[in-house]
Amino acid sequence: MIAAVDYSTAELMATVMARQLRPREVAIMGAVSALPQAACRLAQLTGAPGLWFIAGGSGAVNPHLDPLVASSCDERLLDADAVLSLPDVILIEGRGDLIDVFFAGGLQIDARGNCNLGPVGPWRQPTLRGPGGVGLPFVARAGRVVIYSMSHDRRTFVEHVDFVSGPGFQSGQSRLPGGGPSLIVTPLCTMDFDPDTHRARLATLHPGVSVDQVLDATGFAPIVPAKVEATPLPTPEELSILRRMDRTGLLNPGAAR
Amino acid sequence: MFLSAAAAIEELVPEGTGLLAIGGMHMHNNPMDLVRELVRRRRVIRRMLTSPSASLAADLLIGAGLVEEVATAYIGFEHLGLAPAYRRAAETGSIKVLELCEAAIVHGFYAGAGGLPFTALPQGLELSDVSTANPEHFHTVTDPFTGERVLVAAALRPDVALIHALSADEQGNVFFAGAHFTDRLMAMAAKTVIVQVERMVGVGERVAHAAESVLPGFLVSAVVVAPSGCLPTASHGAYGYDEPALRAYLKLARTEEGFAEYLRLNGMTAAGVTA
Repeated sequence: MIAAVDYSTAELMATVMARQLRPREVAIMGAVSALPQAACRLAQLTGAPGLWFIAGGSGAVNPHLDPLVASSCDERLLDADAVLSLPDVILIEGRGDLIDVFFAGGLQIDARGNCNLGPVGPWRQPTLRGPGGVGLPFVARAGRVVIYSMSHDRRTFVEHVDFVSGPGFQSGQSRLPGGGPSLIVTPLCTMDFDPDTHRARLATLHPGVSVDQVLDATGFAPIVPAKVEATPLPTPEELSILRRMDRTGLLNPGAAR
Repeated sequence: MFLSAAAAIEELVPEGTGLLAIGGMHMHNNPMDLVRELVRRRRVIRRMLTSPSASLAADLLIGAGLVEEVATAYIGFEHLGLAPAYRRAAETGSIKVLELCEAAIVHGFYAGAGGLPFTALPQGLELSDVSTANPEHFHTVTDPFTGERVLVAAALRPDVALIHALSADEQGNVFFAGAHFTDRLMAMAAKTVIVQVERMVGVGERVAHAAESVLPGFLVSAVVVAPSGCLPTASHGAYGYDEPALRAYLKLARTEEGFAEYLRLNGMTAAGVTA
């Protein structure tokens, strides 16, 4: 079924991510984070008033995103409610009781929510040298981790990552000091994690996507419940808020003005 | 104190520098004029240390074949793509990579700046492979207070740091605009600090700066006035990054021949060396 309202995949993902956030929580994100930044701003203006978010390396706290920008260190992010120095951001990420939600990603993401932004293949001479994990090791300490990826294919979603940049669950008892991965958001679906086995479990399918399509595109076998819900569609109000900040069409090239 | 880029590199960055740190974050505040001078003079660096997220400055030095080992947590171009020279060097094994994370870098700088022998890291960071992959930089010790096992990392004390700031005054006090990222901390940990600035500080500008935005002159070895010297990366307080020029680099640097062409087109060959 085609929705009455036209929207892009990234806009759909932004609304899904925004609904993960609760009032007065503190969220943080890293490089290439226009999508979670937009989600946080959207959440502040809809279901999560009083949410705080720290925009990557800029140190900006609650950037106004007027407009949304592509780089996480853009000076325009400093048009914000407050600004921390980058060493201060990295300092307090270590406390473990401040960051409720950590937005993470990876070149590889595995069945237990481990993320790899480092070497793909052998560590010493990788087949693909990723950029590096920056602050991803800190996901171990966050209240919960929301993983997002604009690619949903078998190269990205693997049984085991080749290198753990951001620790997810391990196969046995979780040793994570934080709450661990809670949701994966992709262009096809969302996956949560089975509370007993800590394995990724298909949660919702985006409009027009079938279970088989997800299984074909995923390099591990997610748990598939008997009934999988549809991902709720963006509302016109949500899209209107997103498009007011996204003036260059980072989330929707077709809607740029 | 005030030197040209050529003189600063010639006098303060010896061949085979043991640990050279480069400031800026992503495609912002990369001290490009200093880096281009390193390339022109073909200064070999034993270990290059980046800020938590490096971009063009690091990729250029690696592509020029001047870096024996790189200690980094990220080299890339965010939404514009992966770092082509870094990829090629790492995937062919021609560079050694010491994989770090932002915590090891920033806490390592605190240790370097404060004279601490090493730094302890928060619980949970041992679960990433960053420490596993680099046993020379990370160890596990017993916390004498609790008896628990704790991950520790080496202090970082760069021999030379190259950073960028907006302006400087006659005494070499340096003023940052926008975000100073980890550059101020990096400078406090380094033995020799070369700061590239856009311009001299304006009259009355000094009082507008909070304490955190200033690096006092006694921590600065040399100031290089280089207007537009961060291009094609951004200079906070002065200009944004030049996206077409960055894309042009990424396209050319995909091959070794293209990379050499980029150096020629941008005056980074031996012919560009001035006295």
